[in-house]
Amino acid sequence: MPKVFNWHINREMEYPYPATPPTRQFAAVFDTNKCIACQTCSMICKNAWTSGRGQEYMWWNNVETKPYGGFPQGWDMKVLSLLGPQSWDRGTNTYTGMTLIESALAAAQGRQVTGYLPEDAEWGNVNIGEDEAVGLIEGGTSFGLPHPVWSFYLQRICNHCSYPACLASCPRKAIYKREEDGIVLVDQERCRGYRECVRACPFKKVMYNVATRVSEKCVACFPRVEQGLQPFCTIGCPGRIRINGWIHSPQEADLESPVDFLVHGRKVALPLYPQFGLMNHIYYVPPIHVPPEYLRQMFGPAVDRAMENYRQVKDDPEMLGVFMLMGATDRWIEKFRVVQGEAVGYDAKGDEIARVPLKEPVVVRPNFDPVLTVYRHNTM
Amino acid sequence: MGPTGFLARGVALAAVLAAVGLTTGGRVLAQQEPFYAAAYVSELPTDPRSPVWGRAAASEVPLIPQAGILPALTQASVPKVTVRALYDGERLAILMSWQDRTRDALSGRPDLFRDGAAIMFPVTEGLPNVCMGAAGQVTNLWHWKADWQEDIDKGFQDVVDHYPNFYKDVYPFVTGSPPYRMPQDFSAPEAQAYLAGLSAGNPLSQPLKSSPVEELVSQGFGTATHKAAQNVSGQGVWTDGTWRVMFSRSLKAADQEAADLQGRKQVAVAFAVWDGSNQEVGARKQLSSFLTLAVGEETNQMPVWLWGVFAAIAAATVWLGWPALVRRSPRE
Ligand code: SF4
Ligand code: SF4
Ligand code: SF4
Repeated sequence: MPKVFNWHINREMEYPYPATPPTRQFAAVFDTNKCIACQTCSMICKNAWTSGRGQEYMWWNNVETKPYGGFPQGWDMKVLSLLGPQSWDRGTNTYTGMTLIESALAAAQGRQVTGYLPEDAEWGNVNIGEDEAVGLIEGGTSFGLPHPVWSFYLQRICNHCSYPACLASCPRKAIYKREEDGIVLVDQERCRGYRECVRACPFKKVMYNVATRVSEKCVACFPRVEQGLQPFCTIGCPGRIRINGWIHSPQEADLESPVDFLVHGRKVALPLYPQFGLMNHIYYVPPIHVPPEYLRQMFGPAVDRAMENYRQVKDDPEMLGVFMLMGATDRWIEKFRVVQGEAVGYDAKGDEIARVPLKEPVVVRPNFDPVLTVYRHNTM
Repeated sequence: MGPTGFLARGVALAAVLAAVGLTTGGRVLAQQEPFYAAAYVSELPTDPRSPVWGRAAASEVPLIPQAGILPALTQASVPKVTVRALYDGERLAILMSWQDRTRDALSGRPDLFRDGAAIMFPVTEGLPNVCMGAAGQVTNLWHWKADWQEDIDKGFQDVVDHYPNFYKDVYPFVTGSPPYRMPQDFSAPEAQAYLAGLSAGNPLSQPLKSSPVEELVSQGFGTATHKAAQNVSGQGVWTDGTWRVMFSRSLKAADQEAADLQGRKQVAVAFAVWDGSNQEVGARKQLSSFLTLAVGEETNQMPVWLWGVFAAIAAATVWLGWPALVRRSPRE
């Protein structure tokens, strides 16, 4: 099997095809600390892409409450236990365990990738576990960091991986990665509904359309990306937790690009389960109130530093600037700059497309409005 | 055993089977010793349960799990299939029957897979690779699908049929009333745009079928392609743990991609069976090696089981002997 380099795990790994990196790679940063689980992102995606026959159960975007929520149910626990023990060399941030493709179980299953096919019922009841914390708050519990009783929201879409498990598993080569932006798509004409990809994708982001009997997945809103727009789930987010951008390797990082800046510059955003070996491109700012033991399993050993760095955000105008630019425009921000207390976003032509203050101005409105001759109350 | 070990073992097995297929099939073709013959009848049956099938000799064809490429079938669920063939001078009809305790005729749920059966003929000269041909070795596949049969027998098995309590109030551009029916309530062009597979022209997404048998052309694993012209008819019936599936087509090939069976007294054929409840789909199937079918001549019935036993012994030797072979190698 060819060897490819995966900088998420800082080593070479096996992949059935040689590396053919796209010209640029679709990516996003999601700040888990700001999500309010309103599910606007889930609904906007459903309205746009999965409101058809056969797609009723699909949520290409879903937001689940950790630790108990999951769509499909228990996907993360199942994949983690199939993969078995996972070890890191913490000094070099190198993953020393097996990836899902390297794991001996893949071959034992007669498969290219270690995986499982969720049962029908596991796709239902998408809200099981929602807002459930790890335990009950007992009398006398006080809040410190990390929280002894915790939960957090995990926003999930397809990762448009560099080494997609879905693509690796498809015997028909019906899944392809676009040369122009790295977006991973299922060819709707070529797919024959074998569901090898559904079984292989550890994030369970390929779904079988029960009416057309072929598989479908998050399309990264490619018609929008082609027009310099961010995906629907990014721009619809009222919590303003998301931003899209192109991701590069650490050596080629462009620190003027918001995603590269957060991932490589400030190192506050990390891929989910890098040990799966997919080089997946949704990067998460880890929830800083959650015990680091749990987060190390999810995001690898770099999570401690990421949390530490994120805590500096209020004293770091540039980092603050990127977070303020989240949700500030529906356009794709190619570059950003912080000038005189404002964060400015630019498109590919260098034109300004967004400008936001680092600190929202405080406005004190008098109790009486002389124009309308009314009294304003701050309660209803 | 590491992934390479498993793969190597599978490749070795496939190589031996291909060799068995080539020597047995090739020799039989060369020596004009057919495995079994199609019996002549003046009128072909249209039902797989018809007593007319009794006029054809039954041949038991051993099947082995596909282990040459990934995804592989690690354990066989259908070890053999019984084959009968009839012809009437115009058309050839083949009946495949095998035991399967579960009737898997639905595929409209994320975790349901259909049962299936297929026959493969070479299109180009010579015996192709038994794994659906190879580049330049064109094969013609007749693939019967239990879910297509169900769609034909009972009407398109829609979301409502899989989920009887299902209700959704509205879909974009839908007509009719909830819970709606495919395809009629989704026939507006705007509504069809939400059925991506269908609008892309994928034949698998077509709710209306004219035959439960899809005709394909292939040049190796992963290359099966729906033929422009579909000319194979068929019918499958499951009773008491047995599938009986018949295929029929004119002996004359209607186009270049179809196997021409007319005038060819001896034809190479291979068979495959899928068990849906074992999640068998695509390359995860059990298949036979190439056998010879004689159409339109008197035959001395060569016992097909003899070749089957030969293939099975060869397969078992390689499969079981491989670990010992590998263990002896100093690298491991
Ligand atoms: S829209 Fe934003 S805040 Fe709301 S659930 Fe989605 S990611 Fe979270
Ligand atoms: S997240 Fe899953 S579906 Fe998306 S590219 Fe990666 S492997 Fe494929
Ligand atoms: S990128 Fe587009 S298709 Fe993908 S989850 Fe978000 S809204 Fe849905």
